[in-house]
Amino acid sequence: MNDWTIVTRSLRARLFSTVTTIASVGVAVALMLVLIMMRSAGKDAFERGSGNVHLLVSRDASPLVSVLNGLFYAGAPAKPIMYTEYEKLRSELPVDWAIPVQLGDSYEGTWPVLATTPEFYTKFEPAEKTPWKCVQGRWFEKNFEVVVGAQAERATGLKLGDQIYMTHGTAGSRGAGSVHVHKEYKYTVVGILAPTGTNHDRVLFTNLASAWIIHAHDRIEREEHAGQPEHEETPEEHAHEKLVTEEDLIPEDRKITNIFMRVLTRPGADVGALIPVVMEQMRRDPQFVAAPLTVAGPSAEIRRLMSIVGNVDQILFAMAVVVMVSSGVGIMLALYNSMEQRRRQIAVLRVLGASPGRIFGLILTESALIGIFGSIAGVAAGLVGAQVAASIMRERLGLFIDPTLPGVGLAGVALGTLVLACVAGIVPGVMAYRTSVAKSLRPMA
Amino acid sequence: MTNSHQNAAGANAAALKISDLRFTYRGADGGFTLQVGSLVLAPGEQMLLSATSGGGKSTLLQLIAGLMEPDSGSIEVMGRNVHGLRGAARDRYRGAHVGMIFQTFNLLQGFTAAENVMAALMFSEVPPGEHRGRAESLLTGLGITKHNSLVEQLSVGQQQRVAVARAVACSPAIVLADEPTASLDPENAAIAIGLIQKACRDKGAALLCVSHDPAIAARFERVQKLADLAGVQSGAKPMEGAAR
Repeated sequence: MNDWTIVTRSLRARLFSTVTTIASVGVAVALMLVLIMMRSAGKDAFERGSGNVHLLVSRDASPLVSVLNGLFYAGAPAKPIMYTEYEKLRSELPVDWAIPVQLGDSYEGTWPVLATTPEFYTKFEPAEKTPWKCVQGRWFEKNFEVVVGAQAERATGLKLGDQIYMTHGTAGSRGAGSVHVHKEYKYTVVGILAPTGTNHDRVLFTNLASAWIIHAHDRIEREEHAGQPEHEETPEEHAHEKLVTEEDLIPEDRKITNIFMRVLTRPGADVGALIPVVMEQMRRDPQFVAAPLTVAGPSAEIRRLMSIVGNVDQILFAMAVVVMVSSGVGIMLALYNSMEQRRRQIAVLRVLGASPGRIFGLILTESALIGIFGSIAGVAAGLVGAQVAASIMRERLGLFIDPTLPGVGLAGVALGTLVLACVAGIVPGVMAYRTSVAKSLRPMA
Repeated sequence: MTNSHQNAAGANAAALKISDLRFTYRGADGGFTLQVGSLVLAPGEQMLLSATSGGGKSTLLQLIAGLMEPDSGSIEVMGRNVHGLRGAARDRYRGAHVGMIFQTFNLLQGFTAAENVMAALMFSEVPPGEHRGRAESLLTGLGITKHNSLVEQLSVGQQQRVAVARAVACSPAIVLADEPTASLDPENAAIAIGLIQKACRDKGAALLCVSHDPAIAARFERVQKLADLAGVQSGAKPMEGAAR
């Protein structure tokens, strides 16, 4: 029998109230932790994704959209860039490298297909200091070879040697009618990539010629059917058509959607001092006045995005703080309500020699215990919530976030909860402190 | 048994010495004045203070225990002026030297018999390691064997014994009993008074019992009326009614 016995017995005697109070504190703590986790992990995910790209060129409506589409696969880029335009830019601009990329197709409507050149895996790093690595097989060398990102591989179960078809468009792209599977052209899986912790992990990679051939096939088909009455084509009819080869490609078929660029840097320096120069040069180029290019600095765009999101998450954070405080008020009310029933117990303890200070301490300990148990419950719920939030972000936004709670945030929230619980215990504690022994010990009516 | 409190405040001090005590209660519904000119209890002495219901007797006991402040006069327990002590020191002094028994026992609900007795030792200087042993031997001595039963599961008679054990657990200088038999039938009342008296004798504690029950008067060598000590003057409402 000691103070601890009195505290725990008292909490147990009001089990329902204790458990609901702990639960409300737990929910507040979990909410807070999930928000903190989303904040830091979301930021990380965005900041990682642009790798060593200095500039992203596209014909999307805005630089931000261009970054979201081109680097985070949020949707298919809207308008193409001709390969000839790319070649011109590459030869004229002071770039270290400029990699052409075509997006728009998908595997099973879900997994984006990125068509590019070998430079994509030799020069571009998906995350800073994280070059590509094949865990199985190799990168594509010939047409209709495909390399599968780690996440796509895990989810689809594709393995080396699998023969797959690509879908024109993605499930989310505009004009669902235009989405169709290119059954004529079989791709072979030749490599599986190691995880990079970026959005590129859910992508399938192939060469540009393969993508162009498929689209040329569509063009030729349209040309042949032009003028003829519309009719539903049977799969047999379709299969008998002549397969398009690289020789059939005309310049209009050679389209890309994005260019990943890295300007020349001095050896050892990562800062691209030439970035603004190159941006300006592209904007001024008379060739692009009619159909302007959108040039985005991914890191600047991400900073801009984070500052927009930052406002929202400050509101969310403020709401979490309010939830937190109201859970503190909950603790106070629970203890306050218990005071009426406990006056007699407190008076008896006073008679037995307990000082008012010690009684105050007992109530404060109870309050702190509720805070501690609430924190524990909240951390547990927060870990689960973080997983759920991460999977929602992955499915809805295609954003890969690491659902671990930062240690500092965890400690901060736990400490904050404890302080809040102690503050909540002050009012009932003072009530207990001031309990009149003489009045409380009168025989019950 | 131990009488360490005697060493603490003079070997020949009275267990209780009240001089010129005056306490006035004023409430919206009336008030009363309690006056005690002089009352001395020798160490180990047992006394019955008879009073009509609500004649200020509970107030007197709470004044002695240092739970209320007198207007004037002094109350000494083992030579120590209770009201000269402040704050936690007075609480400690009460815990160590004064035991209290109530009409409704005022046991801690939700705690076992042993824990109720140990609760009294919690605030004393008895080493924690000895608490359980002491509590259990006290309870056994008073005929309670179910040490680990919750007090609300015990019979009224058993609860009374737990209350007695708790009052004497710290070997106090004085035990204050407030209507200890009011909720018992005459037969059990006699048994209860016998237990309280024996427990006090065993622990060397003086006993001041206040009661309006004339049946137990025969069991005390010294019986006095509260009114004779200087009386409740007012004709106002009784304390219980007044405080409510």
